[in-house]
Amino acid sequence: MKAFGSFHPAVLLTYFVAIIGIFMFASNPVMRVTALLGGILFCLLLQKKREIPGNLGFYIPLFLLVAVTNPLFSHAGVTPLFFLNGNPVTLEASVYGVFLAVTVIGVMMWCKCYSEIMTGDKFLYLFGSIVPKLSLTLSMAFRFLPLFVRRMKTVTTARRGLGLYSQRGFVDRIKGTGQVFLSVISWSLENAMETSMSMRARAYGKAKRTSFSLFRFTMRDGVMIFVTLLLFALTVTGMASGATDFFFYPRIGELSLSPLAVTAYSSFAILAFLPFVIEVRGALLWRYYISRI
Amino acid sequence: MEILHIEDLSFRYPKAERNALSSVSFSVKRGEFIVVCGESGCGKTTLLRLLKSEISPAGDLSGSVKYLGEDSLEIGFVMQDPDSQIVTDTVWHELAFGLENLGLPCDVIRRRVGETACYFGIEELFRRKTDGLSGGQKQLLNLAAVTAMQPKVLILDEPTGQLDPIAASEFIATLSKLNRELGMTVILAEHRLDEVFPIADRVLVMEDGRAVLFDLPEKIGGELMKLGKDHPMLEALPSTVRICGSLGYEEKIPITVREGRDFIENHFGGKKAVLPEKEYIPGDSIAVELKNVFFRYERDLPDILRGTSAKIYAGEIFAILGGNGSGKTTMLNVIGGLLKPYRGKVLVAERPVGAYKGNSLYRQNLAILPQNPRALFVRDTVGADLAEVPEARGVKKSEREALVVSVAKRLKILHLLKKNPFDLSGGEQQKCALAKVLLSEPRIVLLDEPTKGIDASAKRGLSEILSELKSAGVTVIIVTHDTEFAAENADRCALFFDGELIAEDIPQRFFGGNTFYTTAANRIVREVCPNAVTVGQAVGSLANGDTK
Repeated sequence: MKAFGSFHPAVLLTYFVAIIGIFMFASNPVMRVTALLGGILFCLLLQKKREIPGNLGFYIPLFLLVAVTNPLFSHAGVTPLFFLNGNPVTLEASVYGVFLAVTVIGVMMWCKCYSEIMTGDKFLYLFGSIVPKLSLTLSMAFRFLPLFVRRMKTVTTARRGLGLYSQRGFVDRIKGTGQVFLSVISWSLENAMETSMSMRARAYGKAKRTSFSLFRFTMRDGVMIFVTLLLFALTVTGMASGATDFFFYPRIGELSLSPLAVTAYSSFAILAFLPFVIEVRGALLWRYYISRI
Repeated sequence: MEILHIEDLSFRYPKAERNALSSVSFSVKRGEFIVVCGESGCGKTTLLRLLKSEISPAGDLSGSVKYLGEDSLEIGFVMQDPDSQIVTDTVWHELAFGLENLGLPCDVIRRRVGETACYFGIEELFRRKTDGLSGGQKQLLNLAAVTAMQPKVLILDEPTGQLDPIAASEFIATLSKLNRELGMTVILAEHRLDEVFPIADRVLVMEDGRAVLFDLPEKIGGELMKLGKDHPMLEALPSTVRICGSLGYEEKIPITVREGRDFIENHFGGKKAVLPEKEYIPGDSIAVELKNVFFRYERDLPDILRGTSAKIYAGEIFAILGGNGSGKTTMLNVIGGLLKPYRGKVLVAERPVGAYKGNSLYRQNLAILPQNPRALFVRDTVGADLAEVPEARGVKKSEREALVVSVAKRLKILHLLKKNPFDLSGGEQQKCALAKVLLSEPRIVLLDEPTKGIDASAKRGLSEILSELKSAGVTVIIVTHDTEFAAENADRCALFFDGELIAEDIPQRFFGGNTFYTTAANRIVREVCPNAVTVGQAVGSLANGDTK
């Protein structure tokens, strides 16, 4: 169930930059709460079912902790609710505490979604297309590392089978490991000669390289990136005009309901719920197709 | 029509004393399947690399190599080591690598990569990491990645050297398919000739940098014998050729098992012979005993050893055969104390493995030769590497040298002591690794696939060492795929199957009783003499007595 994840990496990156960017800069409770809800719903779909209870057990206490901590330490605001150890606990600080908790959990939710969706290969691909050499280098590095580790293991086991390991303590063991490490390095250098031969044999350096990837930018990706950018622009316009500004201190301000502000709220809401809607649509479509089979 | 023309080609590496190649001339026709064979160090690799200009070695060259196609990029090259040729981390990227280098647009690459993956039947591996593949899969990927560039000529330098026989057959079959279906010209250097002789159009035999023969495969046997009755390459020939060739018939020598059987049927049809069995007397004591051993790698994985029991007597050569991934190596490592079973007992020299404290299991007692001999070398010279073993055993500095020299003499590797272990050929590395094993003066030696990637004469050298060890009373346990080698050398063979050792017996009964899992020699002569399992026995059984 990863309908959203199947978009082109560029689309995904744009989306996440947009949503997390707005989330960070818009200090407006309506927008933060919508973003949090969107994030939670999306996250729920991405998670494995059995991980959900454990996550709830982590996020709910964290939410409460952040929410309670702020009024205990911050005494700004003009409406005291009660006094604790001679310090006022104010309404403003309490509300702001909840707001902070929403922010923290929201950011965590979206980051979680980001790491689920933007897997290493997608990230690599994006950066690779900016610097083509880098993507090949990284790909070769990712090829080399496991090979190196495997060889270390082979050599270590081979030496154990001849009893060529020390039992005389720490320094000797370090020396032995160093020896193995050096020998695997020279093995790898030897190997690198053959690798470079294999590269030359396959025309490396003969022409200007293209960078092939399995990702394709389709019409669907175009539409999605357009929608994302449009919603982003509408929201940012609202924010820039000051319509969505909101103040907690010294007294909780009033929520603006001007047309500009409402436009910003609703576009941001659509943006925040977009992945959830796409996932659900994907799931429903899937079920519909199955039922027709 | 000619595609490659090599004329009077000589080559010498910088600072080398003699030529690596001397006046080699031959030409290859479009669509031919050429097999290049010769002992290690005969100049095969040098010759093959000179055929492709991108990877030609530097040195003094005279004569000419002409590729008569358009561009030398139309020549694809596959090397021996499956691992070192893979450049990238994923299968799809590896397939696309060469095409990216050519600067092809992504759509074209997508299509070529797709059709190549389909043709080679590796669609399922397409999104996998290259590191997780098996050796056979890696080598197939290397071939596919080269083929994706649509070469007209494929050059392969011992591509199956590191593969087990099943993966090797599969690889050769794919090559043969490329040759037959797509008309690709193939030039293949190989040690294992049994499988490639039947599909070769011509065979090039090399010796000391010279091309001594270039002829049809069925003529090679006869021609080689004309060069000398004990020409070293004779041993490397397919069993069929060796058996039928040494019976002294001048006509066309058969090269496949089927033709070999027909040949025997025609000449020895009614004959029945039973060879006397070599007597097997078990040693006085038990060197290694497994009692109902169970082993698995992880809790949730299936058992690899499933109640394995075995008794291996002191002083015998015991061969464990079996399919790929059946757990033979695991069993060897369990015996060697590298892996601990979760149930059952392993006794070495009648003591439980667990009772050996610290290194004592490996002190003048037991030693394992790993599958890849390279893994045993950690120093700059072979000599320094060998000296490591007596050092670890606590031998005095003054005596180490003498010990190393005496073992080196025994294995005939004195001339290699000053060399870097990485510069040696596969067979030489194998010998040096074995020297390292012997320096620990073991009573029990465990060998894991010792014949992998070594040529026929290195195999004979290994056989000699084994029989010498045996006469010194050392117990040898070999895990191998090589039925011929087991039949020649083992006192007893056993099949490892489904987590157990089954059918332990002397080679003549073991292979003679098997229908599928047996030597080529036995397949050829089993109608006449069911218990002849080696080439020597087969020839012997046929030569004594009348022919039709």
